[in-house]
Amino acid sequence: MYLTLVIALARLGGVISRITKRGSGVMVTGRVLLKLNPNAVTTLSLGRSMILVSGTNGKSTTTALIHKALSTKADTASNYTGANLFPGIATALAENRSAPLAVLEVDEMVLPWAIGQTKPKVIVLLNLGRDQLDRLSEVRVVAATWKAALVGLPSSCTVLADSDDPFVTWAARDWVNVVWFTSGAVGHIDASTCPECGAVLKWTPDGTSYSCECGFRKPSPEWILRGAQLTGPNNQKIAVVSAIPGNAAISNAARAIITASLLGVPLSDSSAAISKISSVDGRFSALKIGMTNFRLLLSKNPASWRETLATSSLGAKNVLLVVNANTQDGKDTSWLWDVDFTPLKGRNVIVTGDRRLDVSARLTVNEIEHVIAQNEDAAAKLFGALDADLIASYTAFHRLAKGVKR
Amino acid sequence: MTFSIAHLLPELLGTYGDQGNVEILSWRLKQRSISHEIIVVKAGEKVPTHADLYLLGGGEDDAQIAASEILNHGGALRKAHNNGAHFFAVCAGFQLLGSTFPASGNRTIDGLGILAVETVSATPRSVGEIISIPTMNIPMLTGFENHAGQTRYLEELQPLGNVTTGIGNGLDTKVDGVVTDQVVGTYMHGPAFARNPELADWILTRKFGVLDPIEAPIFSALHDERIKSVK
Ligand SMILES: [Zn+2]
Repeated sequence: MYLTLVIALARLGGVISRITKRGSGVMVTGRVLLKLNPNAVTTLSLGRSMILVSGTNGKSTTTALIHKALSTKADTASNYTGANLFPGIATALAENRSAPLAVLEVDEMVLPWAIGQTKPKVIVLLNLGRDQLDRLSEVRVVAATWKAALVGLPSSCTVLADSDDPFVTWAARDWVNVVWFTSGAVGHIDASTCPECGAVLKWTPDGTSYSCECGFRKPSPEWILRGAQLTGPNNQKIAVVSAIPGNAAISNAARAIITASLLGVPLSDSSAAISKISSVDGRFSALKIGMTNFRLLLSKNPASWRETLATSSLGAKNVLLVVNANTQDGKDTSWLWDVDFTPLKGRNVIVTGDRRLDVSARLTVNEIEHVIAQNEDAAAKLFGALDADLIASYTAFHRLAKGVKR
Repeated sequence: MTFSIAHLLPELLGTYGDQGNVEILSWRLKQRSISHEIIVVKAGEKVPTHADLYLLGGGEDDAQIAASEILNHGGALRKAHNNGAHFFAVCAGFQLLGSTFPASGNRTIDGLGILAVETVSATPRSVGEIISIPTMNIPMLTGFENHAGQTRYLEELQPLGNVTTGIGNGLDTKVDGVVTDQVVGTYMHGPAFARNPELADWILTRKFGVLDPIEAPIFSALHDERIKSVK
């Protein structure tokens, strides 16, 4: 069948699914498309510059920022609404066939497939950390699949890899065309043993570098982010400006600027374009519940909670934590004990969500005063007409980002 | 004398929020004004042989092997056991106190030999809520397990609990963990003490005798909710 016809049929499936409320149109369109033409992603990638973005945290934001930066140069296809599995990728490419550039957010385990299908020009490897261990793989298993996938790359591909993360370093280091980046991130909760040989990995006392007796070590990065100052090869320099709060946002903006520069976009053009984005896919967006003006923050795993708590501590005095343990959140809440909640000390804290008792137990031992509420409405009644941060785990966040209360 | 808790190799044996157990014990002792110290033992540091209670958590393959080598060095942990110390060992920590445990590539690794158990690899992984009826006089036990190994006793031993939901030690035994005079082992990973405050106190009681009750309904509420959620 001609691809155009296949895409039209697939779209029809998506429309029907939306109308009949049976599911997200994006997923259905992509599923039908791949069913009718399993090589659709390869065909749809031909003749354009493909950029893939993967990692445990920061995929959506980084992809959106890269999209913004590249769009200053040329039309760019993207899936930056979090649809990062096979159907989401297929749909994004089908929906914009004329764009000469495409940047795709790719799930960590889907990355090897996406690399094989799209023959990317640039791959951005962000980080690998523990995430939903009850259903996803151990960090080093993911790193091994990345390493194997990178072996098959054409030499025209550039990998932008985070040298702060030993797993990313290990996965990328055999590849000839790596551009290393550092944001000065400290330590790594899962990197106690060497990814290469399994011996105990030696970290410098300040936690910014690592090495092993087997020779595995942190590579020296070409691009260095210090505070908001990004410096690269040939004395390239730019001050990174982000309208999205937090250090992670600055790092992601820096990666976007570097990625766009690999495709010929001047640093200043990217920086100017990126600086205007203040919210990606509902993150840091506003939501009014009752009288309370909430700011929505997403936290999915220990690393992102740490980041979010630090960012939130600069915000309103009031904070609501919403934690569920559905399949997409991970059904095991043990990770709560990997997070130090002391940044919440002194704030007005309310907890809700399906697993509010787990959170309450954790906060009790952390000696954080808090109140348990039945749901977000009850929490809003307790807060009243105030500003508050609402930090939610995956399923609660995506429900609230769509404005659905309960 | 100050009660000392050795938190062993948190960076290697801490995959599932295991440090929570240390924090909870410390918190429970603090509520009772019992003076205590936490000795965090990191890789490369000397393993103390005179602490009162040793906590071992869960960990991945390489980390478990590295931890086993470190704890075996100079027989440190066995000395501590001979000195009468108590142990609470979870998942990988439980396995490595036994005679052998499995590792990737069909390897069998020698454990510390403190417990007369051996662990073999088993598929599929045991993942999910676990509930058991304890063999001591405390309420039902609730936890979450996630392990690829299953464990058998090499002599007659007392289980920690008889499993009603989940796998535990597996190999058709329908039991979880083990209780000896000095060791409590379990597959309830991460913060088992958060859901089972009476298990935490039971272990402390072995050292202190009768303890004052703590007014903290959140832990029993969490315990009851978890058990109800599985039924
Ligand atoms: Zn090594």
